[in-house]
Amino acid sequence: MATQHLWRAQLRSYPANGHTAFLPQIRKVVLEFCQHYPSSTNTRTFISNHLERVARQNPHIEFVVRQRNGHEPIARGFYANGRDKVIPLNKLEVTGIERKVELLMDSSGAKIRPLKGARTVESTTESARGVWSGLHVDTPFTI
Amino acid sequence: MRRREFSGSRPKSTLRTMAASWHIRNWLSHHVRRVTATRAIHAQSVLPGTTSAALQAIRTQPSQYIVASLVGRKFILTPRDLLTVPHIKDVSVGDVLVLKDIHEVGSRDYTLRGDPLIPTGRVKVEATVVEHTKGAMEVVFKKKRRKGYQKTIKNKHPYTRLRIGSIQFSDSP
Repeated sequence: MATQHLWRAQLRSYPANGHTAFLPQIRKVVLEFCQHYPSSTNTRTFISNHLERVARQNPHIEFVVRQRNGHEPIARGFYANGRDKVIPLNKLEVTGIERKVELLMDSSGAKIRPLKGARTVESTTESARGVWSGLHVDTPFTI
Repeated sequence: MRRREFSGSRPKSTLRTMAASWHIRNWLSHHVRRVTATRAIHAQSVLPGTTSAALQAIRTQPSQYIVASLVGRKFILTPRDLLTVPHIKDVSVGDVLVLKDIHEVGSRDYTLRGDPLIPTGRVKVEATVVEHTKGAMEVVFKKKRRKGYQKTIKNKHPYTRLRIGSIQFSDSP
């Protein structure tokens, strides 16, 4: 019998966050606002009144508040995969700003792709039943 | 080697499978005979009578799958895979859900089909909510010609993604 080769790719493992332990993918949320422009009014209200509560409910996330004068308000989320998501907050009410911050916290940072159809179940394991074989049935095909 | 299904059907022996193989051409029959012989060695020839014995047979095999219902749809799931379903309310990221509608548990050679469900005390599968996300922007353009009616609808469908955990078999019902 020939020696069995152990190929390097066989030792590879695929990430499965949530299978045994779940690690939140959101790392940091940065809120940028302007001190003077009226478009940042709702953002300033949110930062003054609601941000502390949200931060205490999510101790695993780093919340940063940055003043950026002369620019529109922004919420920026940084994720474990190195990507970031930027959401403008200039046309939103205070509740809308809270919903956008929740959107950043709920996301995994993966690139937005169409999720219907083929991406319903994404599996890295081989099928348990194996591939159908025409030879291993009751009546194999005879020419 | 035919699959064995344990839901009240009569056990069928492997002798019929072996007999059929002799009708193929000589060179092909050598391959089939060798493969059916090796498979028959490790598969049981007598069907287990109880659910516990059936689950024990399924557990001994290297990998298993389940057919479970979630949000009104049936999915074929294995451990470690990522399931995308439309947004589930009242569920936050990191929550662990237990799948309560499991219709079928199986492995390579054996299947246990519930009637209509497998009791939850027997087989337990957990799913962890990994994220709430939105799909890509879908643009639908509607037009009725010569009537001055046209509109563009933009839609980003919200989804929840779940990571399926291991299939846990318990000995007591």
